[in-house]
Formats: sequence, C-alpha cells, structure tokens
Amino acid sequence: MSDFLDQIEQAVPALRRYARALTRNLDLADDLVQDCLERAISRRSLFRPRGPVRPWLFTILLNLFRNSLRSERRHGTAVGLDDLATEPATPAPQHGHMELAELARAIQSLPPEQKEALLLIALEGFSYNEAAKILGIPQGTLMSRLGRARTTLRASNGNSSEPRLRTVK
Amino acid sequence: MSAPMTREMLMAFADGQLSPADSAAVRIYLETHADAAAEVALLQRQRDAIATLYAPAAAEPVPARLRVQRLAAEQSRHHNVRVRWAAAAIILVGLGLGAGWFGRAYLDRSPSANDQLMASAVYAHNIFVAEKRHAVEVVAAEQDHLVSWLSNRLATPIGTPDLTGEGFFLVGGRLLPGDPKTGRAAQIMYENAAAERVTVYITAAVRGQGDVYENARFDQTEALFWTNPFITCTVVGTLPDAQMKTIGRAVYQQLTALEEANKPPERQG
Repeated sequence: MSDFLDQIEQAVPALRRYARALTRNLDLADDLVQDCLERAISRRSLFRPRGPVRPWLFTILLNLFRNSLRSERRHGTAVGLDDLATEPATPAPQHGHMELAELARAIQSLPPEQKEALLLIALEGFSYNEAAKILGIPQGTLMSRLGRARTTLRASNGNSSEPRLRTVK
Repeated sequence: MSAPMTREMLMAFADGQLSPADSAAVRIYLETHADAAAEVALLQRQRDAIATLYAPAAAEPVPARLRVQRLAAEQSRHHNVRVRWAAAAIILVGLGLGAGWFGRAYLDRSPSANDQLMASAVYAHNIFVAEKRHAVEVVAAEQDHLVSWLSNRLATPIGTPDLTGEGFFLVGGRLLPGDPKTGRAAQIMYENAAAERVTVYITAAVRGQGDVYENARFDQTEALFWTNPFITCTVVGTLPDAQMKTIGRAVYQQLTALEEANKPPERQG
C-alpha cells in the first residue's frame, strides 16, 4: 500500500511540471496537483489502477484541468500578471530569449487538446500509446493533434517556409 | 523503408517513439534527404525548447501541501472519524478518565491544527525511523542534555518517558521546525529488541485549545494524539493496536505526571 503511495510521490514533480505548463500559473497548477493527489489517494483502496500509476495520475490531472477550464468559461477567471513570472529568467543559451518567449506564447494559444497532447509527448516523454490512453483517444487522433500543434508552432515562429528555428548565439 | 517518409514517421522518430530497427532506417534515410533531416531537426528543437521552458518546474522542492504522506494521513483521519472516536473512547477508559473530560474534549477540539500536528508527526516518524546512523540528533547517552535542550527550545518542560516496561529503549531525540501554528517540535525515538521503533512528537500547547484526545491510522502507521494546556503529544508507530495503546498510555501518564510536578501555581485548579 505504501509502495503505491511512493509511486504517487515519485510522480509529483512531473505532475507539477505538466500542470504548470498547462496553466501557466503556479498556484493554479499546484491546486490542480493537490486535487489530483487527494483523488488518487482516496481511490487507492478501491479504485487503484491495475497498470502503472503515472499515466493514471495524469488522466486524473487532465480531467481536473478540463473541469477547471469549463468552470472558467462559465464564471470567468482573472488572469494575473504573475503569469509572466513563470517564464524562465535565463533561457538555455542555444535558444534566443525572443524565440523562447514566442514559442511559449504559441504553445499557450494552442487549442487545449493540442497543448495537452504535445506536452504529454514533448515534455513528459510518454509513448504515443500511453498518451493516447491518457487522453482517451485513438493513437491516430493523437498523432494528428501533435502534427497540427507542431505546424502551428513552426508557423508562429515566422519560419513556415524555412523549417528551422533561428539559433541566436 | 524505401518508400517516401511520411511526416508522421519523422515526427515519431523525433519523439523517440520508433523501434530501434525503424529508427535506424529513418537515420539512413535522413542522410540522403536534407528536407526530411531539416524537418526532424526542427521537431527536435521544438522539443528542446519545450523542455527549456517547462522542465525546471519539476526540479523545484515540492511544497508541504503536495506531500503524499501528509495528504494520506489527513485523509485517513477524515475517513476514520467514527472509528477514531470509538477508539479514543476506549483509550480514555484505559486512561481512567471520565466521560465529562471526553465531552469537553469533543467541544474544544480544533480539528485543523490537530490534523496538521498528527500529519506532521507521522511524516517525521516515517522519515527518521528509516535512518540508521542519523536517526536522532542527541543520543540516549546524553539524556539529561536532551531533556534540558528540548525543554528550553520548546519553552515547556518535557521529558523522555521511560518505556523499558514495554520493552522499548530510548534511542535519542531531535528538534524539528514543526508547523507555523504550533512552533518547534521535539521528536523522541524508542526502539525495542526487534529494532521496531516508535516516536513521540511533542510541541508546546496550541493556544486556546482545551484537552483533546484523538487517534488516526495511516496505512500501517498509527498516531495517538492528545493535547492539554501544556503540550501536544503524538505517539507514532507501526506496532499492533494493543501495543500502541499500551505505549501511548505509558507516555501519557509519565508526561502528565511531569506536568503536574512542573505546574506553575497560577495554573492550579
């Protein structure tokens, strides 16, 4: 049983990372993760998954995220200026700051279903099969979402004709 | 793999989703197809950029409210309210305390602070009983120093109950930061011949709180908790129920006797 809790514990940093990338808001992200953990813990005796714990946690987190988007649409949510505070202060040297900021904006303006899919693959390193299960969609749908997301990102970089991120050194 | 490479295939390659054989085939293809190679490089750079933007969040220290052990301890408390009160009643009878005291305890309890204390005690227990060389800060050989040091730091006289009657010997103790509400905590650790350990987690009393007695079980770990006007105390261990209760009773009686002896005159009555 506590082995199960250990597995949940090990997933917490990744859940925070994913939630932060989805919401762009530290407090909102940690609220989602807390809700997710509470649900997972409360289900551990009756509803624990037969398979690995990590994808199951991401499924719970995504459901909560979608619910929060729905209630946001209903009630409206003030978006704080702090959103920008989650930008990394010092981006890695191989990327120009402008490019990163632009990419961040492009990711945030992706339709939610594309953003969810892209981040599961590119940030969390799930396999296509796992990600498709987490999202509850066929693998082909997942891949087309990924493809569309990446085309959008490329276009937003002003480089749609030339498929290359400029590297500013 | 001699057919023209689909965009999906290139994307799967960039995402590291292909089998070793398929990956090798794509790599060979890329050597002679500059467009495809540029596409793959772009996809990989997008991945790198996403990691640069968002990966650092996972390296941050996890805040207390997201600690799984703590959440589980709190939840198990809430799920076990009825069981808990039944068990508390049994222990109170064992302690030779009357129902009036019990009723007062019920009315005066302040759940949030107590939840937090029990969760912290269980959390601290799980961390330090696993330690071999660094289980305690001050070892049992320096018991007098341990008692005066912890009493000073908690600004309330505490003791190290003698549990040799229960087969447990003092390992030592340590000072812990505790919670903002309750301040510093002392953790005292005991061990028996079978190397089973119990800890006693003591803080100064929570202001404005009367006597409370509660217990909670979290997985294998049981926490027996009480407060009085001087201290809060949580006895934590993974021993069978009956043994936990015996130890809890011994700790309670000795610490209560100590407080009676140290009771300042104005608090009498």
